[in-house]
Amino acid sequence: MQSKPNSALVIVGHGSTVNPDSSAPTHLHADAIRVRGLFGEVHCCFWKEEPSVREVLRMVDRDDIYIVPNFISEGYFTDNVIPREFGLEGPMTVRGGRLLKYCEPVGSHASMTRVLLHRAREATPGVDPARTAFLIVGHGTGLNDNSAKAAKEQAARLRTETDYAEVLSTYMEEPPLVADWATLTSAPNVVVVPFFISDGLHSYQDIPVLLGIEEEAGAAASQRGVFRHNPHSLHGRALYYASAIGTEPMIADVILEQVAQFDRTHAA
Amino acid sequence: MGIAAEIVRLLEEGFDTIGQVRILRTGGGFDLRHVDDAGRGDLHVWCRPEEARQIAASDDAGGYRPLKTAPNLRRGWSLRVSGAEELRLALDFLYPAMIGTFLEWRAGGLMPVPLRETLGRQTGMYRVTVRITDAQAGELIAEHCKLEGGCLRKILWSLSAETPLKGLSPAKTDPDGVREGEIPLLCAEACNLLVAAARPVAKQTPPSK
Ligand code: SF4
Repeated sequence: MQSKPNSALVIVGHGSTVNPDSSAPTHLHADAIRVRGLFGEVHCCFWKEEPSVREVLRMVDRDDIYIVPNFISEGYFTDNVIPREFGLEGPMTVRGGRLLKYCEPVGSHASMTRVLLHRAREATPGVDPARTAFLIVGHGTGLNDNSAKAAKEQAARLRTETDYAEVLSTYMEEPPLVADWATLTSAPNVVVVPFFISDGLHSYQDIPVLLGIEEEAGAAASQRGVFRHNPHSLHGRALYYASAIGTEPMIADVILEQVAQFDRTHAA
Repeated sequence: MGIAAEIVRLLEEGFDTIGQVRILRTGGGFDLRHVDDAGRGDLHVWCRPEEARQIAASDDAGGYRPLKTAPNLRRGWSLRVSGAEELRLALDFLYPAMIGTFLEWRAGGLMPVPLRETLGRQTGMYRVTVRITDAQAGELIAEHCKLEGGCLRKILWSLSAETPLKGLSPAKTDPDGVREGEIPLLCAEACNLLVAAARPVAKQTPPSK
């Protein structure tokens, strides 16, 4: 991406009122982009943390502002909450002499396929993809949430573009259930990547229980080492469990790709 | 003038405190620390503005701080940053958006949003908050936003366009009611924590139609 010294980048995350894990990746991606000096300034804002979406622009100096939602898919937040809180009227909104450019969410960019692949390879060093099943885990059953659809599309791409023995999108709460991983797959190795924007109760506790890595959900989520004991030997297979895709540093590049895509789509 | 330069100008005007943070000028830059640690020499020294996030994340007991303007900033640290830009970042992590909000207020451009407008805008699980009565809202705000143990921000918004907020002490609502040299933390609109806290209260009230 060409540098934009006269533009600001604002990354919007969900945030949490109970733990710092939700906003941490958003902040880290912002840090990474900030040090590259591509934008005049880089900010974060959140729905559940400060600065709120309502407040963040008060700290922004530039009048040309790219807003990128750090969400796993389009849905309630990107269609409803974020536009409402910013007072957006569409992809481009002029407000108080400033131009607000509303980009697509991180998770729906095509380059997420590359990020998922990278994460899976990293979790399975030296393991042959042709003898490995690749499982993406989404939430499913969300209110107006397209993350299940996004996970499915990513699985379809990975199936055609990589040499994994099997690629499946699975869900916590709707079929195909991630809990059925052993019957859904037949390859000797299985790698599981949560399709979530940050680590939290789902990736630390719920999914490990559904996979059978953990007996029951324990406390003190952030302190857990569930990602460090790969592979887990279960049902005669080697199961590799990765942390949420949104914590991958490559997401910073996806954010930049969404800005570049916005420019291409809305070229003056 | 950019925000970073504005901050330096505020320091030159004599401002040295924001919330529970004291800003000291040092030879090469700035030293930030808890106001109650002003004279201490045994502080843990941090040097990167991003580390301010870690400082602000939890209180002295290790508990998560969902509200950065709560009066429970931890003690025992000193954050040394080198230029105005680093200072801007560090302050924005300690007190997100608070400098910009103060500058906008001082310039006369800050537009507080009445509570009824904030609640009326909510969708999904928070739509129900419109049902809260004025009396319930008053009680909730007095408890949730209280200076001692709640939140250090000065509330600038009213209940509705016609109804002012009643029953709060002037210390909670007067932006000028701060110590000399202190940048007030301002609340121009009910935060999401208050909106979330309004939900269980509002649910007790049956829908009007
Ligand atoms: S509504 Fe304002 S004063 Fe009350 S807790 Fe939230 S930020 Fe503080």
